[in-house]
Amino acid sequence: MIANLRQSISDWIFRAKAPESPPVTLVQRRIFILPTKQGYAFAFTMLILLLSSINYALSLGFILSFTLVSMAGVAMLHTWRNLAHLKLRPGRCDPVFAGEIAHFGVTVETPALTRFSIAVRRGRDEAVYADVAPHEITAIALPEAATRRGIARCGRLEIFTRYPVGLFHAWSYVDFDLKVVVYPRPDPAAGSPPERSRRTSEEGIPVAGDEEFHMLRAYRPGDAPKLIAWKALAREQELLTKEFSATASSELWLDWEEAYAPGIEARLSVLAQWVIQAERFGQSYGLRLPGVEIAPGRGEPHRARCLEALALFDPLAS
Amino acid sequence: MTRAPASPHLDVRNVMWLLAAMVIVVAPHLVRLPYWVAVFFLVVVSWRGWIAWAAMHHPSRWITALLTIAAAAATWFQYGRIFGREAGVTLLIVMSSLKLLEMRTQREVTLSIHLGFFLVLTNFLFSQTIPLGLYMLVCVWIFVATLVGFNRVGSTPTLAQRLRPAAALLAQSLPLMVAFFILFPRATGPLWALPQDMRAGSTGLSETMAPGNISNLIKSDALAFRVQFEGDRPAYSKLYWRGPVMTEFDGVTWSVGRSGAGSAAYSRRDQRKTYTVTLEPHNKTWLFALDVPAVLPSGAYMLNDLEVRDSRPVTERKRYEMSSYLDYRYGDRATPGNLQAALRFDPSRNPRAVALARQWKAESADTRALLAKAFQFYNRDFTYTLDPPPLDRFNPYDDFLFETKKGFCEHYAGSFALIMRAAGIPSRVVTGYQGGEVNPINNELTVRQADAHAWVEIWLADEGWLRVDPTGAVSPLRVESGVNAALGPIGVMSSLIAADPLGVLGRVRNAWQAMNSQWDQWVVGYDTSKQRQFFTSLGFPSVDWRTLGFWLLAATFVVGGAITLGLLVRDRPPRREAAVVAWNRFCGKLARAGLVRAPSEGPIDFLSRVERARPALAENAGDITRRYVEARYGSGATKQELRELARRVREFRPA
Repeated sequence: MIANLRQSISDWIFRAKAPESPPVTLVQRRIFILPTKQGYAFAFTMLILLLSSINYALSLGFILSFTLVSMAGVAMLHTWRNLAHLKLRPGRCDPVFAGEIAHFGVTVETPALTRFSIAVRRGRDEAVYADVAPHEITAIALPEAATRRGIARCGRLEIFTRYPVGLFHAWSYVDFDLKVVVYPRPDPAAGSPPERSRRTSEEGIPVAGDEEFHMLRAYRPGDAPKLIAWKALAREQELLTKEFSATASSELWLDWEEAYAPGIEARLSVLAQWVIQAERFGQSYGLRLPGVEIAPGRGEPHRARCLEALALFDPLAS
Repeated sequence: MTRAPASPHLDVRNVMWLLAAMVIVVAPHLVRLPYWVAVFFLVVVSWRGWIAWAAMHHPSRWITALLTIAAAAATWFQYGRIFGREAGVTLLIVMSSLKLLEMRTQREVTLSIHLGFFLVLTNFLFSQTIPLGLYMLVCVWIFVATLVGFNRVGSTPTLAQRLRPAAALLAQSLPLMVAFFILFPRATGPLWALPQDMRAGSTGLSETMAPGNISNLIKSDALAFRVQFEGDRPAYSKLYWRGPVMTEFDGVTWSVGRSGAGSAAYSRRDQRKTYTVTLEPHNKTWLFALDVPAVLPSGAYMLNDLEVRDSRPVTERKRYEMSSYLDYRYGDRATPGNLQAALRFDPSRNPRAVALARQWKAESADTRALLAKAFQFYNRDFTYTLDPPPLDRFNPYDDFLFETKKGFCEHYAGSFALIMRAAGIPSRVVTGYQGGEVNPINNELTVRQADAHAWVEIWLADEGWLRVDPTGAVSPLRVESGVNAALGPIGVMSSLIAADPLGVLGRVRNAWQAMNSQWDQWVVGYDTSKQRQFFTSLGFPSVDWRTLGFWLLAATFVVGGAITLGLLVRDRPPRREAAVVAWNRFCGKLARAGLVRAPSEGPIDFLSRVERARPALAENAGDITRRYVEARYGSGATKQELRELARRVREFRPA
């Protein structure tokens, strides 16, 4: 009950605001500071020290107590300063496949002095610590296990520090609305795209030749070593031989309808695997989903576009 | 960048720092406590170090519990209690070491460091000198550095990265500490009862005197008290600082009698001498004064044997003003009861001394002749020495007077008083200090335990009580110039000073003593009255706690504000190059004209975009961009070139 009350009060005080546009500089009104548990314990120890000094009339005891109390006060300013005027920007948030670890990146810069033990965390997650040196951009990546395809949102970040003596916790919140696109987990059993999805152009049947990659087929003794699909072998697939066709017009359509698998997610996994395969063999490929069609193409941006379409595919919308 | 585990496991280096800090802070205690405490502490701390170093398992709770019980039991057997100064500190030390042994988490680290701060305080129960203060400052520094180390998560700090922030924190806390020290209201008495042995071990005179007592005391270089005279200092041979007076005698030991408080009538013959004494705590009630005390400090009273006593034992340094008449006549109307006590002795003890006294009495026409005989006797073949041979247990004075003939002041005083009693002259032994050492820097007289002395008072019908110093008969130098002159330098320091032909060491020592005197008066002895004195000297005669509180608050704000300002100023980015300023201005102008440079866009890329969007601007913008790129990323630019760049930017009109 009290925990709930505290939570709601804290939510009200530090209520989420709209995502901010970078860069965010931690000006002083953004920084909160409170003693840590250690800080309260320290205060208690100081009280005992002071009472003992009074009782035994120990002048050096007074000096000790006052030095430590002042030290704590100065440490509060140092802790606050350790966080103040840091400049934050969103960092890399590279897409991942479901089942991998997504990383939300932020970068931190300091105006002049090195800041030690700057920590960033999401909610109650484990914090990630970094030292921030001047004239450098320090990247901090917050890991999260990406379990489901779609978009993983980072949410509000807490940036805090307890340096130098751990008696105070200075913190600030920042929300860049960081997102990581989580691609469907590729289905390793899906293999190569099926024959049927190959469409030849009007010019006719592909002719065996060596101009353009056409397809993979099972290895036959006597095939030239440079035609062997080493990458596929490396992934512990069977020994395959790349076959090239003389026609440049071969197009591969990866079609929702042809990816037979039980359920939507399984189908998306199959398609993801096909996209990866097609890209790996340098084939030109297009993607067709209910309500989405991506014209054939090749290359990293095209692959990313296709995988993103799979990641964001919403069966209810189509 | 590293990830910190949920419960940060303790870094070996940090643990070693903490252990080292604990050993350093406990070291002064280990020297003065029973040796098993040192062995126990060092073994347990080394064990903990080994656990950290070799990543060993902590001992099981059983073993720790057993050790705890053993340590408590050992403390009990040592002292018969677990409270009190020595016992309490012993217990604290052994328990801190056991706390270190089972220290696993950050929380226990914090607790150990707080215990460390408390151990610093316990050192002050024993000594508050400048060297110990500095030593403890170093300890606090190391503890704060340890805290810094434990709070560096994600990277291992270097030695400088531990020590420098800690030094900065402590240095910046100095002004506020001073303000608090001066302004914080001081209590007048203890809040709870002090342990009985709070001041045990302080050296000084005692209620009894037997051969050997004072010569032990005299080997101590410790301070007894300091004196500041108003006006001229009396002659050295007049500096008899009266302490406990011993009338009871059992044949071996002289002890303080049951003298009543009451009038000690005396008549004076000169002006009185006023002086201020700063007395070190000696746990007894007597205060020291020159014969005869005239005006007593408040709270003190005088017994009829002129012994001045305070109403409570002197457990803290005490400063009092006193005045004395140095030329006086006292006790000529002594009561018979008093004189009776001053004649008592056990004739079965020291029979040869008694026989000799009676023989002298029979041979002498009057008391003066008898005294002359006695002085002659002492003058003949006695040696004044700090290391007299041991004496017979039952008849020590016989042994001394007729066999060894080597002794120190208590031998002379004790035997002389005995002879006087045996010869029918009332006599008693007075202990105290004689002489002192003048520090030319602050003209203060320093009286040490080494100046402890014993002399005799005899009562003559026409004179009253008269001071007789038989030591002076044996070694006149002792009375005229002090114990070092009579015996040669005592102790290492005095020997060094005596051996130094230029007198540099002597001057250093004088300066050091003058500094210590200031320290004792203004730092260690800073109490309610000193606080009042300080404010009066500033022109605030009456200061209540509200005013103090106000000034404390004001000091906190001023110092805190200054430190904040200092921290922020140091963190300002370096003044940006002129080229960057000009470039930003250029970009600002373009932005107002609708061409906003993306944060990721380099100058060349931006230029090509500007050229495409506004061909009319291409020439000027190109010129500015090339100059900026050359100044910033190329071979640099002279001041003139930078001014030119700024001018072109100023004249650039994108609209």
